[in-house]
Amino acid sequence: MPSPARLLRRHVEHRPSPDGPAVVLEEVVKTYGGGVRALDGVSLVVPRGSFLSVMGPSGSGKSTLMHCAAGLDTPTSGRVVIAGHQISAENENRRTELRREHVGFVFQSYNLVPSLSVADNITLPLRLAGRQPDEAWVRTLVERVGLTARLGHRPAELSGGQQQRAALARALAPRPAVVFADEPTGALDLRTAREVLGLLRDLVGEFGQTVVMVTHDPAAAALAHRALVMADGQVVATLDAPTAADLAGRLVALGGE
Amino acid sequence: MLSLSIGMARHRVAALIAVFCAVLGGAALVTATGVLAESGLRSHLPAGRLAGADVLVSADQTYHPPEDLPIGLPERRPVPAELVGRLGRLPGVAAAVGDVSFPAAVLDAGGTPVSVGHPRTAGHGWSSTRLLDRVEVDGQAPGGPGEVALDEATAAAAGVRPGDEVRVVVAGRTSAFRVAGVVRAPGAGILVTDPTAARLAGRDGTVDLVGVRAEPGAAGSVAAAVRAELRDSGLVVATGADRGDAAEPGAAADRSVLLVLAGSLAGVILLVVGFAIAGAVAVSVAAQRRELALMRAVGATPAQIRRLAAGQATVAAIAALPPGLGLGYLLARQFRRLDVVPPELPLTMSPLPAAAAALLLVVAVQGAARGAAWRASRLPATEAVAESRTESRTPSRARAAVGLALIVAATVLAAAPLLLRSAFGVAGTQVAGMLGGIGLALAGPLLARWVAAVVAGRLPARVAAPTWLAVANVRGYSQRFAGNAGALAMGVVFVLTYSLAQTTLLAATSGERQAGTPAQHSIDAPALGALPADVLPAVRALPGIRAAAPVGSTTVLWPHRELGDEAVDAQEALVLDPDAAGVLDLGVRDGSLAGLTGATVAVAEDVVRSRGAALGSSVRLILGDGTPVDARVAAVYGRGLGFGPVAISADLAAGHLGPAPDRSVLVRTDGSPEADRGLNELAATRPGLAISTPDGSAGVPPELRINLAIVVVLLGFLLLSIATKLVAATTQRRTEIAALRLTGATPRQIQAMTRREAGLLAGAALLGGLVLSAVPLILVGIGFLDRPWPAGPVWLLPAAAVAVVVTAFATTELPVRRALRIPPAAALLSPQ
Ligand SMILES: Nc1ncnc2c1ncn2[C@@H]1O[C@H](COP(=O)(O)OP(=O)(O)OP(=O)(O)O)[C@@H](O)[C@H]1O
Ligand SMILES: [Mg+2]
Repeated sequence: MPSPARLLRRHVEHRPSPDGPAVVLEEVVKTYGGGVRALDGVSLVVPRGSFLSVMGPSGSGKSTLMHCAAGLDTPTSGRVVIAGHQISAENENRRTELRREHVGFVFQSYNLVPSLSVADNITLPLRLAGRQPDEAWVRTLVERVGLTARLGHRPAELSGGQQQRAALARALAPRPAVVFADEPTGALDLRTAREVLGLLRDLVGEFGQTVVMVTHDPAAAALAHRALVMADGQVVATLDAPTAADLAGRLVALGGE
Repeated sequence: MLSLSIGMARHRVAALIAVFCAVLGGAALVTATGVLAESGLRSHLPAGRLAGADVLVSADQTYHPPEDLPIGLPERRPVPAELVGRLGRLPGVAAAVGDVSFPAAVLDAGGTPVSVGHPRTAGHGWSSTRLLDRVEVDGQAPGGPGEVALDEATAAAAGVRPGDEVRVVVAGRTSAFRVAGVVRAPGAGILVTDPTAARLAGRDGTVDLVGVRAEPGAAGSVAAAVRAELRDSGLVVATGADRGDAAEPGAAADRSVLLVLAGSLAGVILLVVGFAIAGAVAVSVAAQRRELALMRAVGATPAQIRRLAAGQATVAAIAALPPGLGLGYLLARQFRRLDVVPPELPLTMSPLPAAAAALLLVVAVQGAARGAAWRASRLPATEAVAESRTESRTPSRARAAVGLALIVAATVLAAAPLLLRSAFGVAGTQVAGMLGGIGLALAGPLLARWVAAVVAGRLPARVAAPTWLAVANVRGYSQRFAGNAGALAMGVVFVLTYSLAQTTLLAATSGERQAGTPAQHSIDAPALGALPADVLPAVRALPGIRAAAPVGSTTVLWPHRELGDEAVDAQEALVLDPDAAGVLDLGVRDGSLAGLTGATVAVAEDVVRSRGAALGSSVRLILGDGTPVDARVAAVYGRGLGFGPVAISADLAAGHLGPAPDRSVLVRTDGSPEADRGLNELAATRPGLAISTPDGSAGVPPELRINLAIVVVLLGFLLLSIATKLVAATTQRRTEIAALRLTGATPRQIQAMTRREAGLLAGAALLGGLVLSAVPLILVGIGFLDRPWPAGPVWLLPAAAVAVVVTAFATTELPVRRALRIPPAAALLSPQ
């Protein structure tokens, strides 16, 4: 298997390539005021169509990794390339455009726009990009997440699970290169959480969607093709086709949970 | 982390600053009005010249209408002279003196009147010196009709010493006197022997007032004895600070002016302050919404929620009170400078207005906060949490209904100028504007949602995302949008209706006066206290004079029934001779001014019907000194706005306007240069005469000055409170903006969106403000100027528009820029 650095070089040479990896991180460092080194030289390649889960104790830098990888935040040093575009080198306007084009998010708090209906929320990224929504695709998505009857409602009128499913549909509507999900089920009860997770995995299978997901639940993480374990801002382990028991063991070894 | 928490608190701070500013300005305005009102009730002139008297006895210089505050009577009503002897015999009395005043002015060597004090009341009898605080005399008392004593300042100004000759104009007649003595006491005036004084003052068996000096230590018992002696006489026994009123009857009347002023300001000030406070508090409660909903979820009762909501706003209010109240006293002093009352009348500075204002504002803030939190506090806890991130889906219909009812009521009120061509009609216009503004603020949310829904439905499918979002936001946050638009619209309505109604009234009044005054010149003698009687024949004898007639003014009360209630207020009335028609054209419709002989009056046609005053009928008036009279209506005139509702004949006024009525002579010439030259020569050769243009074109009247000052002050206050409210409202949108950015909106798109919202806001505010102002202003134009638009500065409208646009854009642009500086990931961390 080629090293991340080599992969990256190859990728940079022929960018943007539709077949290249969805996301590449090279030596990403993020320090916050007060000298906290939240990311300490993380390199990472997420191939298209893959499902990657990220685990680690609280404060290990998972959210920071997601934010930097998604272009929500700029790394202190290092590079982030999404679908062939070096997003870490762009200004905020351009970063937003790239994000809109290539990245979807699902967060623990659903971050739906409260004043808009579910339908308007789902098509909002397309509207902002000035793109005409692909009606058939949006209808498929809405059906798939089971919100067909709820399109006219406002987020406040939906249950937590429904809101998260709407957020999922919104993330997928522009057919992004990658969807980042930071503890997407953290605010949901167990049954609903399983439902949403199942949906996420099915979407990866059915539509070949690339997904990067942070979770504290080893069973959830085990649904992914590959799992990263983080500690103190570094990737300390990479497990292919992980099992829940494996992951739980790793975490216990780190003294996390 | 610290910066983050400050960032999180910032939206709350902005809201609290809004409350602080609203309360600060409100406290200042209410306190200032309170100071004026209190001074109108309790302020006293210093007793001045008569400060040495322990007790002053005078007639009651007030009229007591049934069930209303007393009205000051400016013309002196005399008391019987026999009182002097009666009071002098009471035990403990050192001296009882009957005091009279008459117009007098000393001429200097060049024949120019010396200006010291008030010439209208400068002359007195010698015995009044016994009431002076401390008397030292160079020379001696005047011993005969040809002798005079002067106070030190007058003597110095005229350059005379005891033994010199001096010319004195007494009641308009110039004669030579020998200076017998100089009195070292300020304000003692021009003193002649008592019999001469009585003759010059035209008094027979009466005096202005009686001053009583007590033996040392007996002041209290003497006052009690005088009171007992005069029980049931209707006379007023004044001691201490009250003596100022007895010494100067005009003071009580001037005080009434202060009270009327405070009353007329109170309405608009309370409305504007209430509006600003309600707006600021609503924003502050909105900032707390999430927190309140969570409190509700953990078991706080609705009443506790409302108390919590009120608590934060009240803390900001209480912090604003001390500086605000202090500012109020300074503001009152500034208002005082606008010369609505004579400079001697002091303001009463007690803590009372501050206490009242503090109470009023705290109650207002508490009420507004509880009202704003009412809905959230009553919702089931779960719904409260769900709703706390956004606004409720349906703005209250009851609120909108009340708002629409207010707008309808305002429209009805706006018709006032059609019925009342007076300051009351204008007040109708002004209150109509304010009520309409409040109505709009109440009905706004439903209106905004409805309009935005219609617009959203009509938007082309391919409209730019920021535009689409802006419209969606107006719809989704209709309460916030309408609150902001309503506040700005209120500013527009206030400026337009309040100032244009005022300028329209002024234009109509001065227009009528000008049209009604064919005389080109007015001659009077302010430095002499009274116009010499021989001026009139001298003027009439000049070449090129078409007409000359004396015109005076006094105050009359006209009790009448208004809406079934007894109503009476002090009114300025012209005092006219039968030949006034030559110099004044009141627009006589019926009868003739030539009939103004004996007990007759002329009345304006506006009041003929309402007060039963048709030609030939008899009306009952109360003259300026309190004497009730029955007078026949000799003429009905049309120019009531310019000349007031009633004019009385000189015969009727005679004897009720003091010793020598203060009148000017109006002169109509043939317009030839000879006529003007003749008049100027006449003025040059006689001491103290002044020729001016008859009023109408004369300067800005004090009421207008104070009204314009109020517009400026209130506008500043409104703008400040609107701006802080808008900034607070925009600052609260941080989470909303973060959510949009996480969904893929670029900072540029967010800015485009908020700019479009600002545009919609300014547009809605201008449209609402203009529509609401249009009806009252059209009606005030029709009512006063017979044309469907008001009079006033044309730049007002564009200036208001620019102010609205600038405020709308500046107050969104800056907080949005600040919100955009935070990376979207950081916004994620802050609580919703
Ligand atoms: N805005 C910030 N300013 C300063 N330090 C920060 C900031 N955000 C995160 N940190 C710090 O960076 C480190 C990594 O934080 P991060 O949120 O990435 O952890 P995490 O792995 O997502 O934890 P959790 O599982 O609890 O969500 C922590 O030590 C945190 O305190
Ligand atoms: Mg995290």
